[in-house]
Amino acid sequence: MKHMSKYIFSLICLCFSLQGIAQVKDTIKQKERYGVRVGVDLHRITKSFYDKDYQGIEFVGDYRISQKFYLAGELGNEDKTVDDDRFNFTTKGTYFKVGFDYNSYENWLDMENMIYVGMRYGVSSFNHTLNTYSIYDPTNYYGLTTLESGEKFEGLNASWIEIVGGLKAEVFSNFYVGFSVRLNYLVSNKKPENFDNLFIPGYNRTYDGKFGAGFNYTVSYMIPLYKKTKK
Amino acid sequence: MKKYIITSLVIVLAVSFWNCEKDDICAQETPTTPRLIIEFYDAANPTELKNVTNLGIAEPTFETGYAFNAVSSITVPLRTNQDTTTLNFVLNGSDEDATNDLTDVVTFNYSRIETYISRACGYKTTFILNDTDGLVIPTSNWISSYEIVQTNINNEDETHVKIYF
Repeated sequence: MKHMSKYIFSLICLCFSLQGIAQVKDTIKQKERYGVRVGVDLHRITKSFYDKDYQGIEFVGDYRISQKFYLAGELGNEDKTVDDDRFNFTTKGTYFKVGFDYNSYENWLDMENMIYVGMRYGVSSFNHTLNTYSIYDPTNYYGLTTLESGEKFEGLNASWIEIVGGLKAEVFSNFYVGFSVRLNYLVSNKKPENFDNLFIPGYNRTYDGKFGAGFNYTVSYMIPLYKKTKK
Repeated sequence: MKKYIITSLVIVLAVSFWNCEKDDICAQETPTTPRLIIEFYDAANPTELKNVTNLGIAEPTFETGYAFNAVSSITVPLRTNQDTTTLNFVLNGSDEDATNDLTDVVTFNYSRIETYISRACGYKTTFILNDTDGLVIPTSNWISSYEIVQTNINNEDETHVKIYF
């Protein structure tokens, strides 16, 4: 244990001294780190704990390809039961999104924060189980008819384009927290017979039109691969 | 660049609010579960429409019902949770005087088809009246004869049943 703390202490010392060296270098020629960043969406994880009708996880990742551009993607799985006025249904599925982020933030010195915009192409494969449904009778003379179903609608898929806006901040060495909002536009949507894709994993709730929206809160870790001089 | 981010944020919010209003209420003009349309004809002159007087229609066990007066065409709802609907057709039934009431019990037998409409409206039921016993009126206290003219009850645009009295 004593050795351990000694080791950590010297590691911290080393970090600080390296930082000192780096800052000296900055005045001459600034180097920037390139690497792979992997993380997870905190919103989906926490929601899985407090919402009994939701189970979901989303992994996020990006890879810096130039001064401003990052190759970025998300991979997730969701299991959500929606209790609407007229239906109760469960949707299960997996999705994948790939695209890029453009960092518009001018970092000072060796800071690595991002305020970015980006785009994604998302695909999702899913199924629905209709638990109960109601018949719409405008007269309502016999009262509301709600029927049990259990019918499964399988082999469904959808794809969409996302416009992403967000930020990422390095909170301590190599660890980042981030937030992003997404405007989704449906490109394809394979609907089931006699039901609809009211929820699409990764895309979220659908509306009458083709637009939708989403967001995530991420925590991620960066694995530095190499350094490149800032142009 | 910051401008773009703010603009896209505004768009996301605007779209989400604008969408909320659109699909949460089942619009009245949406075709949902159709009612049965009955036309009344003169038994003595079967091509002539005849107006009903104070016709009361109610499910036998219900306390409330429908009242029609001085019309020749009426609409009645069918049960969406059973394949049969029984209604009392009481001529002069919706007036104060109970002594002039004439009751015929009308039973509709059908099969049901449930069709998805939308998130706000849910499903609708359309009906197909049975060939043999689609409409049964065992007594003829005021109804002399009847006829099914359209077995498929998909909409409220056409007459489904004709009743002669």
